[in-house]
Amino acid sequence: MNNGFIINLIPGETFLHKLSGTTKVRLFFVLIIYLIMSFDIRLILPVFVAGLLGLFSLKTDVAALRYIIVFVVAMNILNIVLYYLANPHLGELYFGQETLWFQFTDHYIVTYEEVWFLMSRLLKMLATFLVSLVFILSITPSEMAAGLYNCGIPYKICTVVELAFRYIPDIYRDYQNIKVSMQARGVELDSRKAGVIKRLKQTILILIPLIITSFDRVGDISNAMDLRGFGKGRKRSYYSEHEATADDQKVKIVYLLIAVFDVLYIAAKIIYKIPEVWYPW
Amino acid sequence: MKEKTLIQKFLGTWNTKTIVGVAIGAALFGVLMNYGSIRVFTNTSLTTAMIVPVIVGALFGPLPAAAAAGIGNVIADLIGGWGFWFDWSIGNAVLGLFVGALPLYGAYIEDGIFELKHMIIYAVVVIVGTALAFGLVTPFFTYLWYGGELTITLYQGVVGSVSNIIVLLVAGIPVLKVLAARNAKASNLRRE
Amino acid sequence: MSRKPVIEFKDFNFRYKTQTQATLHDISLTIYEGEKVLLLGASGCGKSTLAHCVNGLIPFSFNGEMTGSLKVAGEETRELSLFQMSGHIGTVLQDSDAQFVGLSVGEDIAYALENDNMPRSEMLPKVYNSAKIVDMHRFLEQVPYNLSGGQKQRVALAGIMHDDVKLLLFDEPLAALDPMMGNFAIELIDRIHQDYGKTILIIEHRFEDVLHRSVDRVVLMDDGRIVADTTPQELLLGSMLWEYSIREPLYISALKQAGCSLQMAKDITDVRTMDLSPYEQQVRTDFEQTAVLEPKEPGEVLIEAENVGFGYEQGRPVLSDVNFKIRRGERIAVVGKNGAGKSTIAKLLCGIIRPTEGQIRFKGEDYTALSIREIGEQLGYVMQNPNQMIVKDMISEEIGLGLSLRDRPQDEIEKSVGEVLKMCNLYEMRHWPVSALSYGQKKRVTIASILVMNPDVIILDEPTAGQDYRVYTEIMTFLEQLNAEFGKTILFITHDMHLAIEYTDRALVFSEGTCIGDDAVFKILSDEDIIQRAHLKETSVFTLAKRLGLPADEFTEHFIKAERRKRSA
Ligand SMILES: Nc1ncnc2c1ncn2[C@@H]1O[C@H](COP(=O)(O)OP(=O)(O)OP(=O)(O)O)[C@@H](O)[C@H]1O
Ligand SMILES: Nc1ncnc2c1ncn2[C@@H]1O[C@H](COP(=O)(O)OP(=O)(O)OP(=O)(O)O)[C@@H](O)[C@H]1O
Ligand SMILES: [Mg+2]
Ligand SMILES: [Mg+2]
Repeated sequence: MNNGFIINLIPGETFLHKLSGTTKVRLFFVLIIYLIMSFDIRLILPVFVAGLLGLFSLKTDVAALRYIIVFVVAMNILNIVLYYLANPHLGELYFGQETLWFQFTDHYIVTYEEVWFLMSRLLKMLATFLVSLVFILSITPSEMAAGLYNCGIPYKICTVVELAFRYIPDIYRDYQNIKVSMQARGVELDSRKAGVIKRLKQTILILIPLIITSFDRVGDISNAMDLRGFGKGRKRSYYSEHEATADDQKVKIVYLLIAVFDVLYIAAKIIYKIPEVWYPW
Repeated sequence: MKEKTLIQKFLGTWNTKTIVGVAIGAALFGVLMNYGSIRVFTNTSLTTAMIVPVIVGALFGPLPAAAAAGIGNVIADLIGGWGFWFDWSIGNAVLGLFVGALPLYGAYIEDGIFELKHMIIYAVVVIVGTALAFGLVTPFFTYLWYGGELTITLYQGVVGSVSNIIVLLVAGIPVLKVLAARNAKASNLRRE
Repeated sequence: MSRKPVIEFKDFNFRYKTQTQATLHDISLTIYEGEKVLLLGASGCGKSTLAHCVNGLIPFSFNGEMTGSLKVAGEETRELSLFQMSGHIGTVLQDSDAQFVGLSVGEDIAYALENDNMPRSEMLPKVYNSAKIVDMHRFLEQVPYNLSGGQKQRVALAGIMHDDVKLLLFDEPLAALDPMMGNFAIELIDRIHQDYGKTILIIEHRFEDVLHRSVDRVVLMDDGRIVADTTPQELLLGSMLWEYSIREPLYISALKQAGCSLQMAKDITDVRTMDLSPYEQQVRTDFEQTAVLEPKEPGEVLIEAENVGFGYEQGRPVLSDVNFKIRRGERIAVVGKNGAGKSTIAKLLCGIIRPTEGQIRFKGEDYTALSIREIGEQLGYVMQNPNQMIVKDMISEEIGLGLSLRDRPQDEIEKSVGEVLKMCNLYEMRHWPVSALSYGQKKRVTIASILVMNPDVIILDEPTAGQDYRVYTEIMTFLEQLNAEFGKTILFITHDMHLAIEYTDRALVFSEGTCIGDDAVFKILSDEDIIQRAHLKETSVFTLAKRLGLPADEFTEHFIKAERRKRSA
């Protein structure tokens, strides 16, 4: 049972699923850097499209994701609307020029530059979201730990990630059980029946046992790990990390190229003062 | 046992126990972030997750607390599926550093020590830390990475801060009080 | 031939840094290669501490003060690192959940190898072989959440079978297992002892269950000291078990009950094979001369389940077509194998989850209209682990919580809290902090915090799991009181057949998500078919009765009634 978590614990069957953890993690990192550094539709659009393709290639049922996708898109749209309301002259700010399109009031004018900027940003955010979503859907926690390790992150940190995932379902079940037993004793969490602060106060009654029982585990778990030689050497190998396949090799070329591009582009940005946001006209 | 130096207290001792503690903290953070939040309006809610780094800090020190908060936030994104927003993860980590500082000012929850003066210090640290983390650090990275309208970004930071401060004070202090009382060594008990 | 010692304690003492007194006192104990030793002892007597000394967790992760000598495989443990030690000693810990650190069976078995930085290509075959030893090789892909406690434990065992450890150490391997799983575990341990010539040290307080397979030696501990180091036979004949509050095997109690003197007996460690001829006559006469007691007259129906069905996920029913009635004043055991749906039925009764089919009625009324809160005033649910329920740091506050959350006036709260405190004989401790309570007392506090809302029915999930006989008796006699004096109806969700036959009148048996049996415990436990399907275990009293050709259910009843008379006297 997986408690409807988005990330899955058993490896899937599609191309992306089958890649090694290392490949996925590295690809993800170079793409995130790529998206963070670039504010240029010409650069973002391809990744966005790739993200969409990736998402469909995973053959996951989108129904389960609908809520999240709608939510994130809505939040980001809301965000740029707020931006506009806060400052209709962002175009001016970024491109040093304004071309009137139409206007609501004489303060709230709509300029091509403003629209262009807001669209670029929306696309950038959505692309970032897509890439992370595909990453999340295609990797298992253990692959991620192995991947991070092979990116030079100390295995003690990777272990934190792996262990956290191991115990999330247990803690989640404890949470449910404690919650209901408290409700049976009279805790009121219904927003129609109690105000925010009251509910917050009552949540404390759930938090306390949850915290205590959760951290009670620590001793036993660390004993079990010590007894099986955790922290023995400086290096560690991973059962879940299969050897690089032909596909991994192919993808490796891709992410190496992107990595190189990232470096050059950032360098160029600093040296040649490329404008933050690209604007064609 | 000799008194640890401030630096040692800050870094915490990274043995297996601490690593497991951070992991459990991160897991708890992830669960509370996704399931333990309290609806305010339709799409804003108070999350109780921020309590977790406080506890981790109390047990293992500020740096572990920061790790638990930072990683916990990433993990929350992973199980929730809301893409990664590292600007917020970093903010949470920074905040963890502050709220997890209890041992630095002598509040040892494990030994049942959490007195009025600690509460006051805690409250101050929470307010300062949150302001710094969500009012400064996160907006800075948001602006740096995703560009955008500064006042709005700051405004969002402020909203985040306020809700966090509420949780950390209204829920945090009672939780700490009870946990401390639970760990206090009972002395001269009489059946009456 | 001279036997090679694997473990040698000599005048060994240990004190935890945080404790004022030593936890282990002048321990002298030698365990030889190829032996199978059982370490018995009441809760808190230092069994796990001794185990930690053997596997190296002491002094590695618990610091304290050691004196005397402890040699493992001939070397002083002081000179060895934990990692060297784990090369000699493989440990299976008590909590099968906590020690499952991998995200899949394969990963968890591989864990030690991963830490050795072994290349994956070498790892895979080793993992497969170890998995095969414990018969888990078909589950390598499985995630822990879909495994039973027994399977998790086998995985843990596989995880330490790689390198040729000399001694396998099991800390309370039976704690979380249903009766049949428990038998499997003991049989598996025995097989590994036989086939792989490993030295075995088992820590338990469930003597009878361990004796399911023979052991060479029993070491009895009390309060940090070794008080006996002898054969099972000797221990059964003597009276030490009672003195040190270890539960005596039921068939032994039954024989003593009937007035047989076991002194001259030959091997009596296994009821299935022991020679019963010396006792047959005595047992018969004792059985015949006692009058059968009259059954209690049934109270009115409080709860009624009709064709109840439920599933957590669409199209995966966990329960289907469940029917039963619960009457006032009954004591009912809810039994069945892991995952049968026992906890689920409890959650349904509490209204935490609601039936997707059928109906549950409280005093004839359909309960769908009632909120969890309102149900909480008619029926209370006590979780297995007290720490999951206790919120406040003061006992009286904790007990009053249910009422103060319902905004009852202060004086009323104090009044009812006072009453409940007296009911649960916690009154003298009302001002104590929770931290000062023992497990049994904590359990009583959680029950009290439910009783304060004055429900007719109380459901307890595994009330005595993992507890030794002393605590077990403390909790159960208390509950018996609640039932007898205050007429509370009590449901026990339990794996413990002793508990079922001793303290309940009726059993609801669950299997594959439906109720396959609803009858007097004695009858249920004499039904081969149900025993098989529900993973129950025939108690040794039954075996005894059968071998003597006596009616099993009546004989057990007779035995238990006598036991109860002895308790109440
Ligand atoms: N880490 C620790 N620090 C201090 N004292 C401890 C520690 N672990 C156990 N003790 C104390 O040592 C005594 C023996 O504990 P131990 O766990 O060895 O008993 P046990 O026989 O294993 O009990 P159980 O059957 O409940 O597991 C107890 O009184 C306990 O309070
Ligand atoms: N919250 C949940 N979500 C999904 N499935 C669940 C949940 N709780 C239990 N289950 C499933 O329902 C089935 C019955 O579980 P339940 O806990 O009722 O069994 P049980 O008889 O109490 O087992 P045990 O003896 O181990 O306590 C199991 O297959 C379990 O995996
Ligand atoms: Mg123990
Ligand atoms: Mg259960």
